[in-house]
Amino acid sequence: MSAGRVVAGLLALIAATACEKPVRSGDPLRGLSREQLDRFQAGKAVFDSAFMPATGLGPLFNSTGCSECHEDPAAGGRGDEVEVHATALRAGGVCDPLVGEGGPVIQQQVTPALKAALGIDVEPFPKDASGRATRTTPVLFGRGLLDAVPDSLILSYADPDDRNHDGIRGRPNRSVDGRIGRFGRKAFVPTLDEFNAGAFVAEMGVTNPAQPTEETIGGQPIPAGVDPAPDPEINQQMLDRTNDFVRFLARPSVKLTREGREGRELFGRIGCATCHVPTLRTGASPVAAVDHKTFEAYTDLLLHDMGPDLADICLGLAGPSDFRTEPLIGLDSAKHFLHDGRADTPERAIELHGGEAVTARDRFLRLPAGERAALVAFLRSL
Amino acid sequence: MRHPAAPIALLLWLALLPARQQQHPYVYQGTIETTQPKAGSFALITGVGMALRLVSIQTTPATRVASGTTTLALKALKPGDVVRAECHSTPRGLIADRIQRIPLP
Repeated sequence: MSAGRVVAGLLALIAATACEKPVRSGDPLRGLSREQLDRFQAGKAVFDSAFMPATGLGPLFNSTGCSECHEDPAAGGRGDEVEVHATALRAGGVCDPLVGEGGPVIQQQVTPALKAALGIDVEPFPKDASGRATRTTPVLFGRGLLDAVPDSLILSYADPDDRNHDGIRGRPNRSVDGRIGRFGRKAFVPTLDEFNAGAFVAEMGVTNPAQPTEETIGGQPIPAGVDPAPDPEINQQMLDRTNDFVRFLARPSVKLTREGREGRELFGRIGCATCHVPTLRTGASPVAAVDHKTFEAYTDLLLHDMGPDLADICLGLAGPSDFRTEPLIGLDSAKHFLHDGRADTPERAIELHGGEAVTARDRFLRLPAGERAALVAFLRSL
Repeated sequence: MRHPAAPIALLLWLALLPARQQQHPYVYQGTIETTQPKAGSFALITGVGMALRLVSIQTTPATRVASGTTTLALKALKPGDVVRAECHSTPRGLIADRIQRIPLP
């Protein structure tokens, strides 16, 4: 090959790279087919729609539509709503999700018909609960990639007995039927489709083919005439399109400044990356844009003990102080941090890390101010 | 003239009917919430995501309960255990034919 052709090839490569637009929040994955993009758009229409009682909303609900909460900075993003969860930790460490009392999500709104029938404004808080938690709305960007990470890769990071003596004891959570969980702040849900189908019911009271029954009102059946829409309230096609939209939401591009690159190096050096594993790789997928892709995840999808100050509820095998390592995605636009939004800055979120994260946290706190700022700049770029 | 094999085929089909139904039982896999060994029943937590539901299941003396190849008594099942229950539907509700405890690694 002549030197001229090599130079021309390199120039073409540089030009192609330079011209590639960064992926923004809410964008679809790169490399989707026309047909997949159409499904993404069709799913966005369902995601953006608002339900009413006649179309399935309620009778208990937290929001009228997906994008009422997942809205910032684009559909699929975060929201300022905070919801309430409750469970009970029983003898022997068994976690009871209080299904007999309406389940772990305590809906904060009711339809006018339910209010008229029972005179309630919110779902009654379960009397047997031993823990109460609040949860902010997470971003959904890149969740399709997380969904495609093989269980074997998640398990490869697990070290429940701390055999390497680094103080980190990651372990997987399990769903009610025993599969490895990965979604939700306690990694209780195994797949993205199940997370979505469950959210339709738990967040909007919209039954669907995957969960065709409404939850009870504190263990009591829904009063007659209160829920006019026949179950399931959306069909499989609407559920499938919503799953497509969420699955195809891309992880926004990470653009690092020089300070951010320094922060990334510090992030690894002080131990944050032990749990917030920088990159994960998907397994086989029928979707080419998801198939065997390495992406910036900053999570191991495992549970870690975060200390007593953050402890709230149990869920599955997760104890009150156990939380899944949060994927660090979409922090560039975040105003609140941690599972309940109690931290207003990344620095405060790090300060609140306890349990297994104490060593890394303390290393962060001992960094010179300039290096702390660099690390925060890195987080703000994710 | 009627085909002589027709009644035989009908009898065979009727004879196989229970077995055919057994091939399509109601199968639930979930976490045991409560057990009532004396009443021979238990409640199973199933569902998708955070939308969980309870399924009430009865047992009979013919119900086989096992963990791997080891046969268990119903009272050996505890809240928090994950089980797979193969059931059939009756007017009394779901009756378990087989319950297999699933080991969690």
